[in-house]
Amino acid sequence: MANINTTSIHNKLTSTQTHDRLYCAAANSYANMMFNPLAGSPDDRKSMYSQPQNNVYKTGDKTSPISVILVSSGSRGNKLLFRYPFQRVAECPSSLTAKQRSPYVLNTSGDGLEDQDGDSREQSPLTDEQLVAGFSDIILATILATKSDMCGKKFELKIDNVRFVGHPTLLQHPPIIQVSKTDPSPKREMPTMILFNVVFALRANADPSVISCMHNLSRRIAIALQHEERRCQYLTREAKLMLAVQDEITTMTETDGSPQSPFRQILPKCKLARDLKEAYDSLCTTGVVRLHINNWLEVSFCLPHKIHRIGGNYIPPEALERSLKAIRPYHALLLLESEKALLSQLPLDCSPAMVRLIKTCSAVKNLQQLAQDADLALLQIFQIAAHLVYWGKAIIIYPLCENNVYMLSPHANISLYSPLAEQFAQQFPGHDLPSMLAKFSLPVSLAEFRNPLEAPAQEAQLIQMVVWMLQRRLLIQLHTYVCLLVPPSEDEPGLRDEDPPLAARVGGRSLSTPSALSFGSPTSSDDMTLTSPSMDNSSAELLPGGDSPLNKRMTETLLASLSEHERQVILNIPAAQNPEDLRMFARLLHYFRGHHHLEEIMYNENMRRSQLKTLFDKFRSVLVVTNHEDPIISIFQSPME
Amino acid sequence: MGMDNRIECIFFSEFHPTLGPKITYQLESGFISNEESKQKLLPIMSTLLEELNATGACTLPIDDSNTIHLKLIQLRKDPPIVQEYDVPVFTLCKDHFIKSQWDLTTQQILPYIDGFRHIQKISAEADVELNLVRIAVQNLLYYGVVTLVSIFQYSNVYCTTPKVQSLMDDKSIQEECLSYVTKQGQKRASLRDVFQLYCGLSPGTTVRDLCSRYSQQLQRVDERRLIQFGLMKSLIRRLQKYPVKVIRDERSRPPRLYTGCHSYDEICCKTGRF
Repeated sequence: MANINTTSIHNKLTSTQTHDRLYCAAANSYANMMFNPLAGSPDDRKSMYSQPQNNVYKTGDKTSPISVILVSSGSRGNKLLFRYPFQRVAECPSSLTAKQRSPYVLNTSGDGLEDQDGDSREQSPLTDEQLVAGFSDIILATILATKSDMCGKKFELKIDNVRFVGHPTLLQHPPIIQVSKTDPSPKREMPTMILFNVVFALRANADPSVISCMHNLSRRIAIALQHEERRCQYLTREAKLMLAVQDEITTMTETDGSPQSPFRQILPKCKLARDLKEAYDSLCTTGVVRLHINNWLEVSFCLPHKIHRIGGNYIPPEALERSLKAIRPYHALLLLESEKALLSQLPLDCSPAMVRLIKTCSAVKNLQQLAQDADLALLQIFQIAAHLVYWGKAIIIYPLCENNVYMLSPHANISLYSPLAEQFAQQFPGHDLPSMLAKFSLPVSLAEFRNPLEAPAQEAQLIQMVVWMLQRRLLIQLHTYVCLLVPPSEDEPGLRDEDPPLAARVGGRSLSTPSALSFGSPTSSDDMTLTSPSMDNSSAELLPGGDSPLNKRMTETLLASLSEHERQVILNIPAAQNPEDLRMFARLLHYFRGHHHLEEIMYNENMRRSQLKTLFDKFRSVLVVTNHEDPIISIFQSPME
Repeated sequence: MGMDNRIECIFFSEFHPTLGPKITYQLESGFISNEESKQKLLPIMSTLLEELNATGACTLPIDDSNTIHLKLIQLRKDPPIVQEYDVPVFTLCKDHFIKSQWDLTTQQILPYIDGFRHIQKISAEADVELNLVRIAVQNLLYYGVVTLVSIFQYSNVYCTTPKVQSLMDDKSIQEECLSYVTKQGQKRASLRDVFQLYCGLSPGTTVRDLCSRYSQQLQRVDERRLIQFGLMKSLIRRLQKYPVKVIRDERSRPPRLYTGCHSYDEICCKTGRF
């Protein structure tokens, strides 16, 4: 048993007697959370950071960057070219030059709070601005402009409450100008930039996936800048502009004495500065970044944590990717925006396949039908669908049909005053969201809403409402899962516990349908078009009808994976006397592990729902049936716990 | 950088790359600028690096009067807020704790944490103020000592989650489950019975219904511990009811509790029904 780590925060709790000391004990966020007694919904948690204070800037959440910084290192030393948001220049710069400051000493005047453990005099946590404002330009330039051997790799540095992440990139030296011996003119010294680093400052406790996403963006921008530098020395030109403005401002402040931020002046003159500012702003708001470096190269990026938010939580990107790899042809794609809106957002040079897909997409069509209607390969459909899902433009659902059973999502916001309720009332006048949601408190199938006495328009509206609720992740769909569990034998209690369940034994019979491997370059796989899912088991070989010896042997082989006791029990069931039923049971045996739902079995085996339900009923003494959501697509309705 | 990653480099001495506290000793005594003591910096750094990577802790005397103590702390996620209708339950065996290591409040409430008493009840019975109990339990939650479940009533409705299948796949969860839910003094329950019981939980079925339907399976199973285990491991989840006042006329006040933000449990707790 590991030692229980009693931190100093903990010790503070023991020694306090009054409430007052308790409340200002720890700067740790969770103690601060105790203030809000009605923080039922996770959305309230965001507001806890923004306590009433005089500062203009609110603290953002953990997925937003605090600042974006561009530094370079070259023949003129390490320079901070640009940073955003601007540092508020509080102190008079003349006082700065008066002190003899070593560049390595931390600027402690910027820190409002001392250490995390001490009793803070200030009760509010540091705003984002203060966190990075404590670092002066010179310090940032020194620590962020690395040496050349750190280039081309992820750069991450944590100082107190700030984490810097970037991707330092080496610039190739421009070709050396050959000076001929006859040329008497002296060689002009061109100030060269050796490397640069686009750095994002985050809160130190940001999630590792957020950090790696930011690093990804830094790397993308760096690649674009490196390319433009090689092509037309774009970066050097911009850097010269930035430094020129900085020098200008410093000389101006020395003469005038009025402090100004040089970066504010840089913005209108420098396209790169504006791009970086735009990247920062987009990251803090929508999470979608689209830059045009030098009006030529496009850098696009999305932060899944901002896009895929449900309640107060976000879906971790790894979970998203895992889900996307597991989608099947019987799933459907549900667009989260209207077709027109989505098409208008696409760039001019987007692939026509995507346009075709968006136009033919529908909530009732599964991906295979979509492939046929849009005349695209299934693998392509998978890739485009995964791409749309990643960018938060669509989600994966099971196609809408009468037999679907829906229930309220555990994370649905059912508050009377939520913005969703308002939107719903606007979209569907005369109906209110809470009443509609109440109908889905217990699982209900769409067929139950059907009322032949009502006008058909009512039913169409109901479908629209269901689609609306699915888009806003208010509903989850329940599926039936079956597991084979044979009653234990009474006369051999010792063996009972050692029998591993069927799930462990019947392994490896994967259904080889193509899946969206990685949303990126298309692979040149040959099995692009599918008319029916290929399966590497023998079910297709079973001949229909007749009690031929071939069929009997097949059944026996299939049942061979069971233990003797299990086989006996199954054969003793009255329904097993019917060879058809037994054959069907044996054929479907490998689905009874609890991982394949009814609709999947229907799709793969081309069977009707009634057939399957009857079979389950006949063999109910050895099967355990349960209903829950599909774990593959439930990620889109509720984030991982 | 988590506990598993090796420390790649130590930058400056003020900026500590790991999760430990900032070293301020050097600043105060002018360690770095002093030429002689600067020579000691390299062996100090290398010792730090080796020891922290090896054991996760390091005690190092720098000079005659100063010693550094460093320890790598595991960063955990912020714990959720603990409400008065939540029920804490120990995830590990209670006897493994050395009570004296905990603060006074926690020591006082520890005997009342049994997985069935909710926070409000613990506060009343242990005679500790409600907010103190909440903070203490939140602290225990942070360290993974307890986890939160909901109040148990026979009228509760639960339903299965996809994770219930892990009971079939994962042998360790099976073992843990069967030993946890078996009634005291009885032969071990069978996996089939327990799995059937969990799958019998569905929206619309109360625990009382389950007991009457599956009485044969419940002969060797304690249904309260069954539910408790299911909630702890997220094999099942509780369906909460939220009353919402929809019909509104001008005369009536806007609803305070019936807004859809407060569950039945919460309302009952707040209005003193529990």
